[in-house]
Amino acid sequence: MTDKPLDAVTETALMSAEPIVVDPEVERRRRRVRITVALVILVLVALLPFYRSLGAYNYVLQIGVSIFAWIALASSWNILGGYTGYISLGHNVFYGVGAYVSALLLIHLGISPFLSAALAGLVALALGLLAGLVTFRTQGPSFIISTIALLFIVLVWFDAWSLTGGSNGLSLPLPPFSREWLRVPFYYAMLLAALAAVFLGHRVQHSKFGLALRAIGADQVKAEVAGINTRLFKVLAFALSAFIPGVVGAIFAYSISYVRPTIFFLIAVGARMVLMTIIGGRGTVAGPVIGATLIILLNEASLTYFGATELNLVITGALLVIVLLFFPAGIVGSLRERGKLPAFLDWD
Amino acid sequence: MTQVIQVVILGTLLGGVYALMASGLTILFGVMRVVNISHAAFIILGAFFTFFLWESTGLDPLLGMLVALPVFFVFGAVLYRALFPRVEGSPRFSEMTVLLTFGLAFMTEGLMTYFFTGIFRQTAPSYRVEAFEFGSFYVPTAQFYALLASVVLLVCLWAFLTYTHTGYGVRATMQNRMAAQIVGVDVRRVSTISFGIGMALAGAAGALVSFLFPFFPARHWQWIAILLSLIVLGGLGSLKGAVIGAIGLAVISAFVSRYIGPVWSPMVFYGALFIILLVRPQGLFGHQARV
Repeated sequence: MTDKPLDAVTETALMSAEPIVVDPEVERRRRRVRITVALVILVLVALLPFYRSLGAYNYVLQIGVSIFAWIALASSWNILGGYTGYISLGHNVFYGVGAYVSALLLIHLGISPFLSAALAGLVALALGLLAGLVTFRTQGPSFIISTIALLFIVLVWFDAWSLTGGSNGLSLPLPPFSREWLRVPFYYAMLLAALAAVFLGHRVQHSKFGLALRAIGADQVKAEVAGINTRLFKVLAFALSAFIPGVVGAIFAYSISYVRPTIFFLIAVGARMVLMTIIGGRGTVAGPVIGATLIILLNEASLTYFGATELNLVITGALLVIVLLFFPAGIVGSLRERGKLPAFLDWD
Repeated sequence: MTQVIQVVILGTLLGGVYALMASGLTILFGVMRVVNISHAAFIILGAFFTFFLWESTGLDPLLGMLVALPVFFVFGAVLYRALFPRVEGSPRFSEMTVLLTFGLAFMTEGLMTYFFTGIFRQTAPSYRVEAFEFGSFYVPTAQFYALLASVVLLVCLWAFLTYTHTGYGVRATMQNRMAAQIVGVDVRRVSTISFGIGMALAGAAGALVSFLFPFFPARHWQWIAILLSLIVLGGLGSLKGAVIGAIGLAVISAFVSRYIGPVWSPMVFYGALFIILLVRPQGLFGHQARV
C-alpha cells in the first residue's frame, strides 16, 4: 500500500463530513488561543498539589485522580469508537487486566505499579490485539455484542480464578508514602497518563493511520476499495486503544490498594467511557476530555446531594438517551456544526 | 446414563425459557434492526409486575402472564413511537439503537432499584417447590409449566407470523424493509406492532422468571449478555436460530454446571459466541432474516 492513494481517497471521503476552515490568519489566531489556554490550565492543574492549605485537600486530589483516569480511558476508547465508529462496550476489560497484572507483580515480586504500569499496558495491548482478531470477524451490532461477551468471559473467569483471588479479589501492600502526601504521586501519575492519552489521540487524529480509521468510520466499503486493509487497521486501533486503559488500571488499583472483579469488570464501567466520549463529542480530541470532566464532577455532585447510587444510574442513562436523540455529535461536535466552537476547545 | 438424561431434561426445561426471552430480542432485530439491550431490564420489570400482582391479589404468576402480555404490548408500542422515529434513517442505525437502549437499560434498572429496592424477590406459587416423577426422572413442576408456557407463546408467535395478514407484513419487512414499503406494507405500523410484541414477550418471560429465579434489578446484565450471545450465535434476526441455540446451549451449560461447576455455566454462552465468530461469523442460520 503506497501512501498517496490512501491520502487522496480518504480526504475525499472525509470532505463531505468536515468542511475545513481556510483562512490561515484566523487559523493561526485560534491556534495561539488554544495553546495559551491549554498551557494555563495545565500549569494550574500541575501546581494544585502545592496548595496545601486547600480545604479537603485529599478529597480534591482524589477527584483530580478520577478525572485524569477517566480522561485517559475515554480518550483511548475514542481511538476506536470515535474514529472508526466501532463501539466497544467491553473496554474496561483492558483497564481491569492492567490493574490485575500490576497488582500481581506487586504482591509476588514487589515491583511498584508505577514501574510495572507500562508492562500492564503492554499486556492489555496484546489482549486487545487478540480480542480484535476475533471480534472484528463481525461488524455492526454483532461486534458490539461480542465485546459485551468478551467482558462477561473475563468477569466469569476472574470471579472463579484462584490466582486473582476470585470474587474477593486481592489486597495490595499499602504505598510507602506518608499519609499526608498519599494522593500526590497518584495525582501526577494519572495526570501523566491523561496527557499521554490526549497526546496519543491527537497524534492519531493527525496521522495517516487516523485518516484511515476515519475513512473506515465514514464508509468501510469505500475505504476497503481505496486499498486500506480495514481489518488490520481496526485490529491495530483496538490494540492501541487498549494500551492506556491497562496503564490507568495499574495506577488506579495501587491508589485504592485492592482489586476486585466488581470494581473493574462491571458493564457500567465500560459504559462510562462510551457515555463520556459521546457527550463530549466522538472523534474529536477535546470531546473525551470535556465529557470525562463533566461526568465525574456531575457524579460527585449527585453523590453529595442525593447520595443514592440508583439515581446516578438513572441520570447516566437519561443523559445518554438525551444526547443521542438531540445532540448525537456531542458537545464539541454540536458546537462545531453550528460554527460556535470556541478556539480553546478546538484541538483537532 | 440416567444422570445424563436427567441433566438433558433440566437443560431443555431452562432452554425453552431462554428461547422465549431471546425470541423477542431477535424479532426486534429482524424487523427493525434494533438491538434492544434493555430487553432483559424489561424482563425484570415484567417479573416485578407479576410479583406485585401476585402479592396484592394472590393472582398466580402464570395468569399474571396473561395480564402482563397486553400491558407490555401497549408499553412497547408507546415506547417505540416516543423514541425511535427520531433516530430512524440516521447512519449506523443499529449501533445507535444499541446505545439508546443501553441508556434505557440503565434508566430502567435505576428506577426499579429506586422504587422497588435491590433485594431478592420471588413469587411463591404452590408448584414452585414441587416436582413430579417421569419414569425414573424427576421434573421440577415450575420449570415444566414455564416450558409449556414458552412453547405455547412461541407457537402463537410462529402462527401469527405465518398465517395472519399483519404477520406477512412483519416477515416482508424482515426480508427487505424498502421492498415491503414499496409493495404497500405500512412499515411504521408493522414496526410499532413488532416492538409491542417484543415487549409483550419480555413481559411474559418476566412472569415466568418471577417464580423460576430469585430476581433483583441489577440481574438483567447477566441475562442480556446471555441472550445477546444467543441471538448472535443463532444468526441475528433468525427465530429458528435463537430457539435452537437457546435449547442447545442451555443443555450444554447444564452439563458444565453439573460436572465442572455452576460458576462456569454462563461461560458456555459467551464461549460459544466466540467460537461461532471464528468459524461462522454470520451465526448459525446466516445473515438473512428468516422465520
